[in-house]
Amino acid sequence: MTDRRDDGERAAGPAPVVAFDHISKTYANGTIALRDVSFSIPARTIHAICGENGAGKSTLMKILFGLEGPTSGQVLLDGQPVSTATRDFAGRHGIGMVHQHFSLIPTLSVTENIILGHEPKKGVLIDRAAARAKVEALSQRYGLAVDPDAITGRLPVAAQQKVEILKALSRDTRVLILDEPTAVLSPPEINELFNRLRDLRDHGITILFISHKLNEVRSLAESVTVLRAGQVAGAARLADVPDNMIMQMVMGRPVEITRREPRQVTGEPLLVMSGVSLASRDPADRLRDIDLVIHPGEIVGVAGVDGSGQRGLVSLVTGAARPGAGSIRFDGEDMAAASTARWRARGMAHLPSDRFTQGGVPALTLIENAIAGTDGDRRFQRGPFLRGGAISDAVAGMVEDYSVRALSIGERLDSLSGGNVQKLIAARELATKPRFLIADQPTRGIDVAAAAFIHKRIMGVAERGAAVLLVTADLDELLRLSDRVVVMFGGQITAALANEAHLTPERLGPFMLGLEGMP
Amino acid sequence: MNRAFLANLVRLAITLAVIGTVILAVLLPFALPHDHPGTVIAAFLLGPLSSLRHLGNVAEYATPIAFTGLAATVVFRSGLFNLGIESGVFLGGLAATTAALLLPSFGPFTPLVAIVFGAVVGSISCIIPGELRLRWEAPEMVTSLVLNFAILYAGVFFLNYYLRDPAAGSLMSYRIPADAKLDRLLAGTRLNSGAIVALVACLAGGVWLYFTRSGLNLRIVGQGPVFASHLGLSSRRIVMQAQIVGGMIAGMAGAIQVLGLYPRFSWTQLPGLGWTGIIIAILARENPFYVVPAALFLGYLQVGGDFLARDIGIPSEVVGLITAAIMLAVTATAIFQHPAVLRLIRRIRRVEAAR
Repeated sequence: MTDRRDDGERAAGPAPVVAFDHISKTYANGTIALRDVSFSIPARTIHAICGENGAGKSTLMKILFGLEGPTSGQVLLDGQPVSTATRDFAGRHGIGMVHQHFSLIPTLSVTENIILGHEPKKGVLIDRAAARAKVEALSQRYGLAVDPDAITGRLPVAAQQKVEILKALSRDTRVLILDEPTAVLSPPEINELFNRLRDLRDHGITILFISHKLNEVRSLAESVTVLRAGQVAGAARLADVPDNMIMQMVMGRPVEITRREPRQVTGEPLLVMSGVSLASRDPADRLRDIDLVIHPGEIVGVAGVDGSGQRGLVSLVTGAARPGAGSIRFDGEDMAAASTARWRARGMAHLPSDRFTQGGVPALTLIENAIAGTDGDRRFQRGPFLRGGAISDAVAGMVEDYSVRALSIGERLDSLSGGNVQKLIAARELATKPRFLIADQPTRGIDVAAAAFIHKRIMGVAERGAAVLLVTADLDELLRLSDRVVVMFGGQITAALANEAHLTPERLGPFMLGLEGMP
Repeated sequence: MNRAFLANLVRLAITLAVIGTVILAVLLPFALPHDHPGTVIAAFLLGPLSSLRHLGNVAEYATPIAFTGLAATVVFRSGLFNLGIESGVFLGGLAATTAALLLPSFGPFTPLVAIVFGAVVGSISCIIPGELRLRWEAPEMVTSLVLNFAILYAGVFFLNYYLRDPAAGSLMSYRIPADAKLDRLLAGTRLNSGAIVALVACLAGGVWLYFTRSGLNLRIVGQGPVFASHLGLSSRRIVMQAQIVGGMIAGMAGAIQVLGLYPRFSWTQLPGLGWTGIIIAILARENPFYVVPAALFLGYLQVGGDFLARDIGIPSEVVGLITAAIMLAVTATAIFQHPAVLRLIRRIRRVEAAR
């Protein structure tokens, strides 16, 4: 570790522009986001920071940008320790950040957005002429052409991003942080962005580029630091390392995976999607030419980095969206235009990824959440009235069966921990004896014991003959449960693989990162 | 059950302490210049309880606002902040008067017919903003606010040209026939059979929300709209149903107020009962069972204010001041979600669980 840092310093000549020195961050709720992170970034380079979701990239950048302070350790700028969580830290030190979700005000003009917070003044008034001149000068200097008078919200996304970059550059910026900047762009726009970023580097700006798309990292950056589970998993000059080594750093050491017994599926498929495409405002939800088949008793896992089209896929088979083209058949029936109610009536059950908005109502009790959607169930209803006693007994049974830890079933849902909420939702969804289960990130953020429990139940559902669509970012989970794996990238299925012993995270990585399998 | 009950007691105790503090804080500046400040506060706090007749006055005040509180509760529970209940009251009163004046007598059922007519017509005021929201995503708060005045002026126009008694001194309807009037319950007060209807309606509303499937679905749609769509509930229908029911209750409030209290229909301004209903709904935490005590409490404050005005010469507007201050205090999340309060509640639950 120490050696590597010394190398970096020697290569860059003077002290690195940014250095993280044994940074740790523990949140008040006990989440450990960063553990002893140390690395440095030489001036005038483009440095990539890679890692999976939750690896600690965003937390580290928040610390550098001054939005949060580290629990221990320090940040050094030009070799000098600085205290980051102070007022206007980033502005004073020339650090600019382009957020993944733009921080622009759509109704203001481009000029107004860029000068916001440090407006040139003429007495008590804003000096509009000076502001406009400043924006034009900035725009010219960095070759980022924008109309200073345009209303920001009416610009296309790529232009809005330019505004966001200009805003980040507007205060004598020398370090520019970009958080997943390509997520909202099309390939030609990405090329254009990369050219502009290279120009910025040549202007003397140090760029930190956060991404989990390896091909982009390779085409843009000179060096990379990989974070995994809040720690530095490795650092390298990109010229020196092959892709698979970076991937191994991102994914971690291959762990022994106990796969599900391979199953022979026979008979007619239950779900058949062919040539399905989906239009959506959010490019991360768009789908192109999806072909997917699931048989009864089969678990099909969907791998891919977040925003590769998984959400669009789930919305199609839950009745939340209608395909723009292609056909969706379930048990022979055309379901392209089916509502959620019809999907549910055909036996669809859904473990959604967002438990508190999609999976239940935090302010309602466990009882109410557990019987939601069982309209017309004679066990729970007599005419319009709910049968309180029978419901209490049934929910108490569900809570016991799924070992949901709660003070009482009359408590509010948000009094439970994440894992217990998920168990209760699973209890409700699986109580319907589904023929088709969609498990979307079923164990994200929950403890190991609860996750193992959920896994057992999902496999149980498949053994009873249901078709299961498993969408997960957790490759271990994916390989543990799936009979077959499809990989999504950029709204398409880039690989469909049988889950055999030689299928490893390393094998999936290139497909997930868009290095292989693109048509 | 027990734990939840104890935890609720904590909140109730805090609510009462907050209300008591606010009443004293607002009343003291008025009481202190008085020779006997104690009598001022005693008149306000104890006056309403001093006789059966005064208790009757409290119930009389509470009747219409229990209805509108229930209406606001039902409408808010659907997740829409629909203010149409205010003009719903006006419209309900006008429609009930119209039915009483223009329809033939139905004997003992005359008031019932007039009230149902008032309820149905009154519900229009909530249905229109609801439909605009569901169909075109027009913000219901804005449309209902504007619609309130449109309905008021349309109603005044109707009153002027179709119901106006030219023999009366000002703009008011013909006398409401005696068989359309509600029975008085207590001599010396205007307390009428509408109070019983209000009580029954609030209990029925509570049973609907908490003990029926459709009430559960309404609460799911209102508090978890995304979850509701994942369940496949027909949110549109459920939301509209709540607007219809809420509007009908508001219409009933107006109908019962007019048939119970007044010799003629003479509203040429919005009566304000809908606004008070919103206060009730918030005080009652949008729970129909709590609407009755909340309405009685506001009625109690109002009668206390009458005592101040009549016996001591303090303007009864001070009641409005107290009500407003109470609203500010009891909606202050900073008090009820204060970490110390939450810790206390958690500790009670844990102690109970340990037993």
